[in-house]
Amino acid sequence: MALASTKFKDLDFFNQSLESGYKLLPFNFIKLDDSRYVITNIAGEYLVITKEDLYAVANKQLCPGSPVYNTLKSKHFIYDDDSSVALELLALKYRTKMAPLANFTGLHLFVTTLRCDHSCPYCQVSRQSEDKAAFDMTPEIADKAIDFTFQSPSNEIKIEFQGGESLLNFEMVKYVVEEATKRNQTENRDLQFVIATNLSPLTDGMLDFCLKYDILISTSLDGPEELHNGNRPRPGKDSYEKVMTGMQKVRELLGPDKLGALMTTTKDSLTQAKPIIDEYVEQGFSSIFLRPLSPYGFAIKTKSFDAYQTEEWLKFYKEGLDYIIELNKQGLYFIEDYTALILNKMLTPFGTTYVDLQSPSGMAISAIVFNYDGDIYASDESRMLAEMGEKRFRLGNLLQDTYEGVMLSDALLGPLEATITESMPMCNDCGFQNYCGSDPVYHYATQGDIIGNKAFSGFCKKNMTIMRHLIKLLEDDPEARDVLLSWVRV
Amino acid sequence: MTKESTTPLVKNDDGSLIILFPKSVYSLDAVKKASYKFTDSCSFLINEQNTAYEVLCKPTADIPSKALDELVNSFCNEVLDQDLRERIASETHAVRSLILAQAFSKTSLLEG
Repeated sequence: MALASTKFKDLDFFNQSLESGYKLLPFNFIKLDDSRYVITNIAGEYLVITKEDLYAVANKQLCPGSPVYNTLKSKHFIYDDDSSVALELLALKYRTKMAPLANFTGLHLFVTTLRCDHSCPYCQVSRQSEDKAAFDMTPEIADKAIDFTFQSPSNEIKIEFQGGESLLNFEMVKYVVEEATKRNQTENRDLQFVIATNLSPLTDGMLDFCLKYDILISTSLDGPEELHNGNRPRPGKDSYEKVMTGMQKVRELLGPDKLGALMTTTKDSLTQAKPIIDEYVEQGFSSIFLRPLSPYGFAIKTKSFDAYQTEEWLKFYKEGLDYIIELNKQGLYFIEDYTALILNKMLTPFGTTYVDLQSPSGMAISAIVFNYDGDIYASDESRMLAEMGEKRFRLGNLLQDTYEGVMLSDALLGPLEATITESMPMCNDCGFQNYCGSDPVYHYATQGDIIGNKAFSGFCKKNMTIMRHLIKLLEDDPEARDVLLSWVRV
Repeated sequence: MTKESTTPLVKNDDGSLIILFPKSVYSLDAVKKASYKFTDSCSFLINEQNTAYEVLCKPTADIPSKALDELVNSFCNEVLDQDLRERIASETHAVRSLILAQAFSKTSLLEG
């Protein structure tokens, strides 16, 4: 019985706690619909409560011991004399959420060439050129990029080859993989390679090399044949055929788990959510990333275009997500990746390394880009913006600048400081601040300002709409909730 | 200072609105933050009177009367919400600092 008495305090103890009242813990809130609010604590745990309860809790009118009181207390929105460990638990959860920051840069993108056999209208960077000298990475630049990469303190180093079409300079891919692997014999990092490729130049020799070094392949698949070929023109109009042949070879020689695919949403995609998802299912993928339209190009010229695009994309996303949830209900385990990223932020204490959903932004501190010419960019989008003449996010050049010079430059530290959502106007007290992030390149491209006015921001509108939608599904649709919870990894 | 208005909501002929927020009830920050949030639909001019903040709100596009009423309702509710946020932030400021200090005190995030 002595054990029981230490586990359970007597009734007087609790009565004393109730009499002394409760105190608030830090929390934000946001309207969910006409009658409900989402409240989120400092660690990102959320509750949905009525407006009346929200005002009651803040005005200290909650009845101690009532169900809403107990729920708020157990979720760390309020505390009383009986819950002194609340602060330590919150601190622990907050620290867990922030932990990825300490890991620093993990993803390093090597642009081996800008040359490409495709001429996709949404790509700002590729060149239709046979001139290797003009647009290919040289060994000298690659050596500098490898040096730079291993100066990252991260234990997990991922090198991803990008283009143009990265395999058009396969010699450079080989060089970097061999040199980095050699270097890693003394560094002992968790080193991983990914080749982003449209698969058209793929040969058996390349696949043998990939097998030897356990290289992952990430390809582009925009949807069914007609849509894919329309989005991704190449001589012969056979991009889809090439990617199908390539995917089959990759799966046969490297294994199905070594292949991933990404889609880009174009204007033509917006009415084809189901066919695009069906294509991914048919090709054996277990997930799809319904990526939003990039603002580069049109949006720089007109803000209204950006807002219009966001509305259309959200309709596309919701239609796609509804369909994917239906597929899951029928027994097919299939994930929408962006949704899964957000759900993991909402429902677990773990942070993310997804650049756009971090505070501060993950530019350079999560992912960094080494261009073919040695220029260093804060993100792939920064590189695209630079190709359109705006080099605001160029951090330096591998041949001229040191690691310390780049990582401590005003060009990087300025945007990083400005993208801390805890201090951004309209983000700092937003109920979704814990789940969101900031995209300085997007806001610079659309508003000419790295922070941007969120009232006009397509990025803000997109994320707020998705987060409201997901919480409504979690709260109001038990079947959808079961599906969404199965996507959360703990 | 111009003559003080007393009517809480005035609709002007040019489509603009004047809304009064009593200083004894609302803070200037709450009024400003709510206004900022609505800058996609209106432009704002905030004046300080003796007993109230006077918000001149000009819709940036023609808005039907019913939608304008809804906009005003949303704006007024947003001022209330901002006021509540301010109170929560003020009351929890010390404990927030304590939690953050505790969170970072046992992690390598602060190590040089």
